[in-house]
Amino acid sequence: MEIFIQTLAKAIALGSIYAIMGLSFVLIFKGTQVLNFAAGAISMAGALFMSILIADRGFPFLPFTNPLAPADGETAGVALWIVHLMIALILAAILGLILERVAIRPMVGQPLFSMAVITLGLEIAIRPFNLDATAITGRSVGVPWGTESWELAGAIIPKSYVAAIIAAAIAFTGVYFFYRSRFGVAMRAVAFDQEAAMAQGINVGRVFAIAWGLGAALAALGAIFFAMAPWPPAGTVSLEIHPIWIFRVLPVIILGGLDSVAGAVAGGLLIAIFEIFAGQYLSQWTNILGPGYSTIVPYIVMLVVLLVRPYGLFGTEEIRRV
Amino acid sequence: MKLKQLLALLMALGLVAAACGGSDDDSSSGSDDGDTATAESSDDGDSGDDGDDGDDGDSGDDGDAMEEGAEIATDFGVTDTQIFVGINGDLSGPFAALVSEIVESQVVYWEMVNERGGIAGREVVPLVLDSGYATDKGIENFEEFAQEGDGGVVMITENTGSPITAAIAEDAADNDLLVIPLSWASLWPAEENVAILEKQTTYCIESMNGVEWLKNKVEADGKEAKLAIISRPGEYGLDGATGAQIAAEELGIEIVYNGIDQVAGDDRTAVISQLVDSGATMVWTTVTPGELADVFGQAVSQGFEADWSGNGPSFSYPALLPTDLAPLFDQYYWQSGYSVPWNGNDSEGMQELVSEMTARRPDAVLSDQYITGWIEGIMAETILTQAAENGDMTRAGVVAASQQVSIDFKGISPNQSYNGAYNDIVVRGSYIFDVDAEAFNLQPLSAGEGSSGMIPIEENYIGTVAASYQFDGPCI
Amino acid sequence: MSFGRPLLRTSYEEDAAILPTWFQKGSAIVALLLITLMALGFGPLAAFPKFLLGNTWINPVTLTIIFAIAALGINILVGVTGQVSLGHAFFMGTGAYTAVMLGGNVGDEESWKACVPFHDNLGLLESQGQCGLGLPIWIWLPASGVVAAMIGVLVSPAAVKVRGLYLAIVTVGLVFIGLHLGRMLPEWAGDFESGRKWPKLDIRLWKEEAPLVELTEDGKWFGLIHLSEEQKQFFFLFAIMLVMLWFAKNLVRSRTGRALQAIRDRDVAAEVMGVPEFKYKRLGFAISSAYAGVAGALLASYNGRVSPIDFGLLLSVDFIAILLIGGAGTIAGTMMGTVFVELLPDMVEKFTAWLASKLDAGGPVGLIANFLLTEGGEGDFGPISIATVAPGWPMSTFQWNFVIYGTLIVVFLIFEPLGLYGVWLKVRNYWKGWPFSY
Repeated sequence: MEIFIQTLAKAIALGSIYAIMGLSFVLIFKGTQVLNFAAGAISMAGALFMSILIADRGFPFLPFTNPLAPADGETAGVALWIVHLMIALILAAILGLILERVAIRPMVGQPLFSMAVITLGLEIAIRPFNLDATAITGRSVGVPWGTESWELAGAIIPKSYVAAIIAAAIAFTGVYFFYRSRFGVAMRAVAFDQEAAMAQGINVGRVFAIAWGLGAALAALGAIFFAMAPWPPAGTVSLEIHPIWIFRVLPVIILGGLDSVAGAVAGGLLIAIFEIFAGQYLSQWTNILGPGYSTIVPYIVMLVVLLVRPYGLFGTEEIRRV
Repeated sequence: MKLKQLLALLMALGLVAAACGGSDDDSSSGSDDGDTATAESSDDGDSGDDGDDGDDGDSGDDGDAMEEGAEIATDFGVTDTQIFVGINGDLSGPFAALVSEIVESQVVYWEMVNERGGIAGREVVPLVLDSGYATDKGIENFEEFAQEGDGGVVMITENTGSPITAAIAEDAADNDLLVIPLSWASLWPAEENVAILEKQTTYCIESMNGVEWLKNKVEADGKEAKLAIISRPGEYGLDGATGAQIAAEELGIEIVYNGIDQVAGDDRTAVISQLVDSGATMVWTTVTPGELADVFGQAVSQGFEADWSGNGPSFSYPALLPTDLAPLFDQYYWQSGYSVPWNGNDSEGMQELVSEMTARRPDAVLSDQYITGWIEGIMAETILTQAAENGDMTRAGVVAASQQVSIDFKGISPNQSYNGAYNDIVVRGSYIFDVDAEAFNLQPLSAGEGSSGMIPIEENYIGTVAASYQFDGPCI
Repeated sequence: MSFGRPLLRTSYEEDAAILPTWFQKGSAIVALLLITLMALGFGPLAAFPKFLLGNTWINPVTLTIIFAIAALGINILVGVTGQVSLGHAFFMGTGAYTAVMLGGNVGDEESWKACVPFHDNLGLLESQGQCGLGLPIWIWLPASGVVAAMIGVLVSPAAVKVRGLYLAIVTVGLVFIGLHLGRMLPEWAGDFESGRKWPKLDIRLWKEEAPLVELTEDGKWFGLIHLSEEQKQFFFLFAIMLVMLWFAKNLVRSRTGRALQAIRDRDVAAEVMGVPEFKYKRLGFAISSAYAGVAGALLASYNGRVSPIDFGLLLSVDFIAILLIGGAGTIAGTMMGTVFVELLPDMVEKFTAWLASKLDAGGPVGLIANFLLTEGGEGDFGPISIATVAPGWPMSTFQWNFVIYGTLIVVFLIFEPLGLYGVWLKVRNYWKGWPFSY
């Protein structure tokens, strides 16, 4: 029973992080029709901003230091940490805005695939800067609760898991209400038909900018919560999360449907539950399934779902015109 | 612009030093066979008064006939004034952080050698190429080093990684190009791999020592020794895990979870769940630091308590000690390694390394990796010096010279010989460190303090299994 | 044939010819001649690539030839048929492993360890390694294409069901499943990191000891001309590439090619006009995969040793980049893109080395060198590090290569969607109308 609870907690926590990343993809896709392959690089940059703020107490090329940051060897309190988190997210959003202005805006109206590949190019171009900053040592993101955990009916549940779940819940609520706001409606209109939206007086450029800003912030949020113990980088930004990150999330958004907010959350939870439970309960069959089989479970689930429902569980079916 | 001036200065200094004659005559080991004249780095230049003490009967050269530097036979990579050696390193791939420090210290080593007059009156020039740990790029770099003309080298003093080394092994033999691999896999004892020089101990032996040490520790703590082995696929993982398995069989330890090859892919839930279920009291890991952080972090967070250790590359203090897992590593993990950590003992070699590195790279950050680069430098210098004494600095001559030498690392790593049967010469000693998260403090070298957090508890440890094990080829 | 009026064509054959004008025919012959002389090491001609790529230039160029074959395949699928696939690496792997199964060393109970490079002193493996059948290249090379094509046919139904970006991501899944298979089957794939050995590129009639045409040793060829190993392989692979190129060009201008393009442009419309969608998508996948299979087999044989991780997602991304930088849908663009993407990193490295040698030269070149390069000393700034070891900022050329590569993809997509081919068209049209080119 403890094992079941532990596994479930881990699955939901991982699912929450997947969901945050999924929301980032969906926001950008719904607003701008771009499948953002650069999410990996952006999210890692966001986590790096966090580390620079909290561990280095300010950017090396700026003349002032961060007065809020905890002294050497101390950890920030939860409230202070959240303040830093917010600043890091804002910085990530600014990065998203810049990328959108430089690379995405000129491509408005181009085929979907060209837009997706542009982000692939961005990913490749940004990555060396990220890797460079983390090359030598792990960079701390100063998680206040470190490796602490709670006990629930004999099961040990790390605080990081709960934090990830809370973060995902807040992100989902935020995005949900955002879509119901006046601006969210504008965004949906733009996604539906750019020209018609323009004719209605909607500023399409601003919609693009907002979508990318929010998307980048969400991507950074996902990476920071994935950088906590006991997830592999354990409280630091490291080379480890980055290369694999985005390709673990792709099945999530495909499963949920590229343009569905609820789908991103459902897809994230579903994929994580399949992945973690398969890892936990099929482990005695590793000889048959092959080592590391749980890594490809998301892809198998994705393939099966797609062959039954080609636009994901919640995605909108494309109407094929001649 | 600075580089050239520096080189000119170094050469000038070198000439002065050579003219002044031998200043520091450290007598080399020469303990086993009296006739292998080894490593007299200082006075082999152009002073020309050093009739070889005892000639090398086995190599069949004409002994004293060629005692002047000018008469040394050469083919590629050696000119009258320069010796080119190649470094095929991973400076941008997954091991860039480690390898760039290793390469840095090897470069410093050559700076020091050149200042003392070089080898056979020639300046040693290391050429560095980056493989990014990609096999095809590594092969391309090798071809560049192996070319028979400008840009070719006389030996490769570092080749990062087992995969690339495996890919070039055959070509290296064809080209008679001596290679020092940056890999401790026990893959190279075979006859046809004479051009690949294994250095220090192997993963396989390291695992035997580590498991034996862990067993003693666990039993001293009053627990029953129950071993779990986890490793990643690939030669590294298989070699380390095989050694652990051999040790467990010989020592009669029960293996409660055998996770050989199981740490693969990005999700390790299966491994963690089986590990936690197994009830092991000791864990041997042959993985990467990222994988270790995942498995270790999640297993411990699920309440799994055991003593952990693993092959050297499993753990990396710069990557893992800044993480939130640091106190847990301090408590449960014991690092294993191949040489003394930075400033870890008072040996002559360590003092030289520390003072040279500090003087030449004051801004560089303290690192245990410098020792590995230094060791590669000592190996290459000893071999090239031997080749010069043999009067044959052709590529084939260097390969032949490598089979005659015994190398004295002056206390920073177990001494090594290539002169004998594999089972007689293989290095069987490894090092075991206590992970000390409190002591961990990376400072620039100029500060003269700080520590990697690796506190030696066993130096040159040889367990009973490793001491007597007879190899009939690679472990795996 | 009408001299003087270059664009007037009086028959359909003329219009559809591979090289429609005398000028193009002539330049093709001259280009072939130049490349041959270059590869033979003919003085002034070989000096040019030597300057760009260094003394061992023939190695990267030969690799580029192999990549060109695979790129022709992805062009047929993505450029011509319009089915976005990131699974090309998977099909290359399929071809490579077919080759090693058919052409690899013959083994038996005793000697299988020589085929698959891991030993098994402790009985860790459940079965023994799989040796090859030792068949000659004229069997394993076509077979690797055929097997990859069959796998492509198996995958193609997904392309009818799943469209656009969804298809692209499904094919990403294919690559990961391929990697997992590589881990699951060490008996076939060898060690996950260092792989296993591949059959050499020698041409044999059957399993005889001495090959009919020697490709892996320096020596005389046909008793005529002394060539190095690298030169022999260059010519052999170049010939294969020409055949593949000819086939691709013919395919695009045939009835089949037009059907594929119709599906790319509007699949529903194509079906209405009597082009069966499923049949042609299947064909597109099959042909593209066959190219990938052949290229994968050649790549593995040329490198001599390949591991499953070499057929990862980055390889697929390379081909998409080649296509976009070259110009999707055109054969000439594909070839230009391959040369550009594959040789650019080497050129950047050589260029940096050249700049570094000019640091003291003074003048404008020295100034530029001083501005761009740094040796890491105090007060010496510049974005590119030429110190032997340079973690952190400034970055090494290797890392700058990635930045350049990614930026190029972005720049081409924004400014020149037709890629290098589009640039070429513009240049050509400018000179065609010169001096009235406005």
